Amino acid sequence: MTAKKLLLVCLLLFGLALLSAAGCGGPRNSAERDGRQANELVLAIGGEPEAGFDPTTGWGEYGSPLFQSTLFRRDHSLAMAADLATGYEVSTDGLTWTVGLRSDVKFSDGKLLTAEDVVYTFSTAAESGAVIDLNNMASVEAIDAQTVKFSLKQPQSTFINLLARIGIVPKHAHGPEYAANPVGSGPYKFVQWDKGQQLIVEANPLYHGQKPYFEKITFLFMSDDAALAAAKAGKVDMVAIPEAFARQAIPGFRLLELDSVDNRGIMFPFIAAGSQSKDGYPVGNDVTADIAIRRAINVAIDRQALVDGVLDGFGSPAYSSSDGLPWWNPETVIKDADVELAKQILSVAGWEDTDGDGILEKEGLQAKIPLIYPAADLTRKGLAMAVADQLRPLGIQLEVSGKSWEAIQTLMHSNAVLFGWGSHDPLEMFNLYSSETRGTGWFNTGFYSNAAVDEYFAKALAATNEAEANRYWQKAQWDGQTGFSAKGDAAWAWLVNLDHLYFVRENLDLGSKQIQPHGHGWPVTANITEWRWKE
Amino acid sequence: MALFLCGRVFRLLTLLVAVSLLSFLLLSLSPIDPVRAYVGADMLKVGPEQWANIAAYWGLDRPLHERFFRWGTAILRGDWGVSMIFRRPVLEIIGERAVASLALMLTAWTFSGVFGFALGVGAAMKQGTWIDRVIKWYCLTLASTPSFWFGLLMLLTFAVWLGWFPVGLGVPAGVLAHEVTLSDRLHHLLLPALTLGITGVAGVALHTRQKLIEVLQSDYVLFAKARGESDLQLLRRHGLRNIALPAITLQFASFSELFGGSVLAEQVFSYPGLGQAAVQAGLRGDVPLLLGVVIFSALFVFAGNLTAELLYRLIDPRLKLKERYL
Amino acid sequence: MSDTQSLPIANRRFSRLHINRRQRTVIVIALAAVFLLSLLVGAQLLDEAGLSTSLTERNLPPALAHPFGTDWLGRDMLVRTVKGLSLSLTIGLFAAVPSVLIALVLALASGLGNKHLDAAITWLADLFLAVPHLVLIILIAFVFGGGTTGVIAGVTLTHWPTLTRLLRAEVLQLRSAEFVLVSLRFGRSRWWVATRHLLPHLKPQLLVGFILLFPHAILHEAAVTFLGFGLSPHRPAIGIILSESMRYLSAGSWWLAFFPGLALLIMVRTFDVLGDNLRLLIDPRSAQE
Repeated sequence: MTAKKLLLVCLLLFGLALLSAAGCGGPRNSAERDGRQANELVLAIGGEPEAGFDPTTGWGEYGSPLFQSTLFRRDHSLAMAADLATGYEVSTDGLTWTVGLRSDVKFSDGKLLTAEDVVYTFSTAAESGAVIDLNNMASVEAIDAQTVKFSLKQPQSTFINLLARIGIVPKHAHGPEYAANPVGSGPYKFVQWDKGQQLIVEANPLYHGQKPYFEKITFLFMSDDAALAAAKAGKVDMVAIPEAFARQAIPGFRLLELDSVDNRGIMFPFIAAGSQSKDGYPVGNDVTADIAIRRAINVAIDRQALVDGVLDGFGSPAYSSSDGLPWWNPETVIKDADVELAKQILSVAGWEDTDGDGILEKEGLQAKIPLIYPAADLTRKGLAMAVADQLRPLGIQLEVSGKSWEAIQTLMHSNAVLFGWGSHDPLEMFNLYSSETRGTGWFNTGFYSNAAVDEYFAKALAATNEAEANRYWQKAQWDGQTGFSAKGDAAWAWLVNLDHLYFVRENLDLGSKQIQPHGHGWPVTANITEWRWKE
Repeated sequence: MALFLCGRVFRLLTLLVAVSLLSFLLLSLSPIDPVRAYVGADMLKVGPEQWANIAAYWGLDRPLHERFFRWGTAILRGDWGVSMIFRRPVLEIIGERAVASLALMLTAWTFSGVFGFALGVGAAMKQGTWIDRVIKWYCLTLASTPSFWFGLLMLLTFAVWLGWFPVGLGVPAGVLAHEVTLSDRLHHLLLPALTLGITGVAGVALHTRQKLIEVLQSDYVLFAKARGESDLQLLRRHGLRNIALPAITLQFASFSELFGGSVLAEQVFSYPGLGQAAVQAGLRGDVPLLLGVVIFSALFVFAGNLTAELLYRLIDPRLKLKERYL
Repeated sequence: MSDTQSLPIANRRFSRLHINRRQRTVIVIALAAVFLLSLLVGAQLLDEAGLSTSLTERNLPPALAHPFGTDWLGRDMLVRTVKGLSLSLTIGLFAAVPSVLIALVLALASGLGNKHLDAAITWLADLFLAVPHLVLIILIAFVFGGGTTGVIAGVTLTHWPTLTRLLRAEVLQLRSAEFVLVSLRFGRSRWWVATRHLLPHLKPQLLVGFILLFPHAILHEAAVTFLGFGLSPHRPAIGIILSESMRYLSAGSWWLAFFPGLALLIMVRTFDVLGDNLRLLIDPRSAQE
């Protein structure tokens, strides 16, 4: 029996050894590039777009549609620059946008890109039943071969973002098969797509912009773990990773941390309980309707500790939905992690722990707030639980639970929810905080409203240039007296901005990077023409 | 014979209708809002008007029975509809993905059947010895381990650490389609097939083992042992036929896995397959795609069980289903 | 140690202790029961505080203070594992037992009943098998409103078909055995035949089916929970713990997966041992060995 036991023990040890060795990965292959040419690249960075590569159905929504070009684009400092367009003018009433086009742009099949193609693209996108929201566009027409006129239903200074997001498709080559075989004027042209596996692209010789360094790029679509394994085996040059993987070292690779506006925050119901939404869901929460509670929570949370703890240091504290973006008001930053100040704010407002159970009360109401996070998201779960622990000494009890998105829809007007946003379009702010959007879909689920903020929003949308608009966007956040940020109404408690993490080969130079928007992966290719090997 | 076939065909047709109805009902009872599922992470950018547009575009604002009726009549005409998620015809999607993984699934299925059977037999023949114990623990461990884990472990061991196999995909990365050779494809197929095969072993092995143990305790086996038959002879003459039934049942019951069971291969090895698409269709309320998958799946299940029943009669003549003493 | 034939060596060792086989079986059953009970009790006794996050103690490997290590939020893995086991135990039982019972009843009805009943039941089994397994579980869980009920309903309703087919094949084989035919000729009702003659022969396969289904149910529960339809994800259940730890496996935190996985395996094996030994006691053939 002992001999056999010994054998079993040996087998077990062998198994464990295998496990740990496999877990460590081998340094053997990661330094080699497996016979790839110097001007070829293999990337495992993105989710595969199930609906294909058609901008009229949503491809390239985060900018940089790879195969196509857009009229405008945001450069690495997020300033708006022209790409296909030469410039634009907005009429004084804000309803007509006239855009001029370059005359020297060709599609990869040699045909010239004209205003007809732009008109076709936007008309098709408006009717495609996809996520592109062009409802405010009344019509689009070509004035001549190089000029396009957009007519809007209402002034919308953020319309420029749609012009920067929708890649232009060729009218002569667009049809139901386009999504699987796109033709465009972008830096790369389509070669092959093995669904569920890989996408192969080649540099477009007719591209009108900076010629890309890399002749051939292969995009692999793999799960996080598989992609990491591929990096360890040296089969890819760049891989997008969740922060759980970031603490490993892969020889030959460096960790790239990109700032992003991909944020997470707690939305508070703004009004007291008692009413119903048009779908019949309860609206309002008596505890969070108290501004002292919202302010106290904002002040008490230690955002840096959340970044260090839950995000493992890969992130930054967030004080608004648009930290660091051109329309962000730096005055929204507050001093946080101040439990004493928070306690003061609460006691001044009348919250006391009268029965000694550790939870504050005011007029018979206990400071208990349900906090909901989407069940599948580990990061949000971690944040919710950590915040609940941070607020306990304050006397506020957050009751954390994870629910599906469907359940959240019914609960989000009357409970605090851990949402995440972050876009390169300031319209997001309007959608989140305007009284016009209260309770519509996922916008302004807390029924927040502030007349002064609404006025600023109206002015921002009616503005005729970006600089002017940005001033008003900033005032809406905090104008010295009021605003929706933590110093003002504290409608939300923004927590953190996530860093987007990648393992990149040591000598791969990715150029200068924008602050990344909400989606991990594709946005990092925005400046793909600048990528090269370091000398 | 003709009557038998007619009966079977009738069963198949009723099955197809019932399964479509069931799936459709389940989908409609689910609280998932297909539009929300479709819009996904972009929800902030889509206003309520656009929401309504999307719903109208995909016909999601019509009443239930109307939608099912439309789908039903379309199918009879041969139009399987367009998938909401992929925006392409359902038949195309199923065709591409299912065919790609068919070779993989067949290999894995065969492997798990043969290997499972062998393990079960081995364990029963050596019942009580350490071999039996190891096999039992092995099967229980497999059953208690998330298959994703196991797949990952295989990937890390064989593809990263040892480097014997590619790290994923069904074809080499960056290689154009016309340059991919058969040996390339086989090379990419082996590791996922092996992994899937191993994870599928537990059921067949344990049930077979149990059955063989019982058989070995029966009188005729005792008699045969008394006559001096060796183990192997015992197995061949008395064992195999008698224990074949559970193994066959299990094997052919998992026939439908051939069609949609490639989720593990897709997740861990990025091998093309229909599994994840099917799950997404169910989760996101993509009626045409899900119903399309379900119909094919039903065909496979039916074929599998029919084969199993025919094999029953072949292997054990006592099972003449027509005869009823009762 | 739990099979009907045992090694001479084992007998020798136990015979030194003057315990006979029957006593050994009883002891094993008692131990197994104690283990399971202590899991349930222990989970109740363990404080909820053990589950709180501690951002400064994240990802610690096993040490004296935390015998099973801590996870990425600083929660103690020992507490999570014990509580998780106990929760999963209940879920697994509630899902696996009804499923197995349904399979048994349907298999008996199918095998012993008339042709039409058999056809109907196998048709029903085909129906449930036709929808891809994962999708069906999720959809059924949705219908039942999610939560523990949803998961249990989902798993129960999707796993009976295969076991039913297996048991039905057994019943068909046994049905033509002589002792059955004789009983029927003597006028015994089908029900009597089923319980007295067939059931004992089906028990071994039933047990195997249960043992395989039990962890399966637990693992599926995690999948449904991740979609927001199972338990709330921060209530520990072994399935959730294992699934979450998968992400960290690549990162090298092996203890997050090893201890819960081992615990699950031991629990499954305990049931296996329990089942085999109970059968030894009850089955008249082996009870007197």
